[in-house]
Amino acid sequence: MPPRYGTLDLATWGKSAPVIDGYSTERWLLKGAQILELHQEIDDDPADALLPRTMHPVIPEYCIINVTHYPDSPVGAFSIGEVRIAGRAGVRPRGFVLRSYCNSEAARREMASRWGYPAAPGEVSIVIRHDRVIGKVVAGGRPVLEIELTDRDMISAADIQYISSMHLARNRQDQKLVLVQVDPEYTFTKGERGRPRVVTLDNDAFGAGNHLRLMNPIMASFATADVTMPKIRYICNPELPAMQGTTKVAA
Amino acid sequence: MKFGIFYEISVPRPWTRETEKTVYDRCIEQVKLADELGFSNVWAVEHHFLEEYSHCPAPELFLTACAMVTKQIRVGHGIIVCVPEFNHPIKIAERTAVLDILSGGRLEVGTGRSATWTELGGFRANPDETKKTWDEFVHCLPKMWTQERYSYQGRSWSMPQRTIVPKPYQKPHPPMWVAVTSPGTEIDAAERGMGSLGLTFGGFKEQEEKVIRYRKIIRNCEPVGSFVNDKVATVNFLYCHEDDATGVGTGRRIAGAFNYLAAQLLAAREAYPTKSYPSLGLLPSLRQEASGPGDESGAPEGIAIGNPARILREMKKWEAVGVDQVNFLLNALETVPQEQVLASLRLFAKEVMPHFQSKGDAAAAAAGGR
Repeated sequence: MPPRYGTLDLATWGKSAPVIDGYSTERWLLKGAQILELHQEIDDDPADALLPRTMHPVIPEYCIINVTHYPDSPVGAFSIGEVRIAGRAGVRPRGFVLRSYCNSEAARREMASRWGYPAAPGEVSIVIRHDRVIGKVVAGGRPVLEIELTDRDMISAADIQYISSMHLARNRQDQKLVLVQVDPEYTFTKGERGRPRVVTLDNDAFGAGNHLRLMNPIMASFATADVTMPKIRYICNPELPAMQGTTKVAA
Repeated sequence: MKFGIFYEISVPRPWTRETEKTVYDRCIEQVKLADELGFSNVWAVEHHFLEEYSHCPAPELFLTACAMVTKQIRVGHGIIVCVPEFNHPIKIAERTAVLDILSGGRLEVGTGRSATWTELGGFRANPDETKKTWDEFVHCLPKMWTQERYSYQGRSWSMPQRTIVPKPYQKPHPPMWVAVTSPGTEIDAAERGMGSLGLTFGGFKEQEEKVIRYRKIIRNCEPVGSFVNDKVATVNFLYCHEDDATGVGTGRRIAGAFNYLAAQLLAAREAYPTKSYPSLGLLPSLRQEASGPGDESGAPEGIAIGNPARILREMKKWEAVGVDQVNFLLNALETVPQEQVLASLRLFAKEVMPHFQSKGDAAAAAAGGR
């Protein structure tokens, strides 16, 4: 029996893929980012439709929901909220970004053209309270995402690690669909862990339809870090397993 | 240096009742042959929910079956998960004592704590607690095996005074080991006077440094048991063939299948940030070494794949860095047909093992290898 691979419908997802201007972006240093991240297990079989064939599922499958505020960037402050499906590209842990929302038009444009972020316009915010941290996304006037970390507990920032992302994008030069690996570097200054809670998740707003079914919650973390958006090093053919379809584009 | 075999019991899809049984039957057949050939140990993991990678949730049953069809080979838990949601310590003491009796005193008890969210989450165990419960369990077990009456009031479990029966066949009790995956765990093993049951490869240099650290610390250990087990074991792949290219190629296929499966598991650290799991554990090291750069033949450093001469060279290097036992994974996903696995075992026993054994052991290996 062949290994399990993702079964994402590229024809459908390709229509909304952002256009990337090649693979030679310079790095961006984004200081003092506040990152709220939540991990939750999801129903295994339907979620295969949310991973490209480049990737195969992790056992158990889980999603990564992330709301990040960047107070400082070359285009000013901005925030992004996104949903990723965790999987494996070859033997590497990666998260496939279904969709993200961004509250700055300039940042949205730059993140899409440089790193292939599939970002739509939305109001994105992080609210820090004594007993919880809340991340929210409002799009088209309605809430599409709200997550919470409760029972805040300080941990060593060194214990936090994030897995790299895969973005489905269209290359401006040849108009071909490509998966762009984006592996930011993090220098953490503060870390917290707590109980996760998904208050609102509008599947359609993230393109997930009925393929995303939340199951067992794992944890939520909240960190402060300097984030370096990287040069692009690897791209993948979204129609091939990573072992066969990965190309190195920079050292 | 001694040689053992190590079982994850990897079962490919589709899972019919026949595929599961066939894989178990093949493992038992391999163990019988290994016993005849003079291999010293058979180890079996305890894993849960690890689809295709490991269908071995009840190693005590598998090892009992092994003991019943063999005469010399020692049977080892590699490892028992010392986390209360997985195993109650009283049951561990009882089960291991019975297996030691049934095997005629051939039991080795490896201990550990699980490294995947797949398993820890499945049992709703708290990753922050597992190192503490492991430590508590390994201090309790020898007393439960040796004291006629036992009571305990501890952090993660307690019991009023009872007589835990039966006691192990080996006196004072079976040797104890610690699964060493995360960096520094070899120090935990040494401080407690327990054997270091390595489950990652690392390079020769890394392993040598670990062994030196281990030997230095264990000299002044406070043993949890009635005696010190100062042995260092490590894990490896084995595919031995007269033709080097065939051996390397087939061995790499086994490693590739194993690595593919290992990659699908969710490491505790990836899912859940905690100081209790400072590294991704077993899996990244296995992947790196098995798929890393090799010599011109494509064989990575230290891996027991290829012809007997190549494997002998690599094993001598492990011996030189102070390893006492190398335990081999023989297959993954049934990538290699059973007859080839058995032939590989025979060839290794005939051509490689005699270079490491006493005269008596070598004669047994040669006789079984015919």
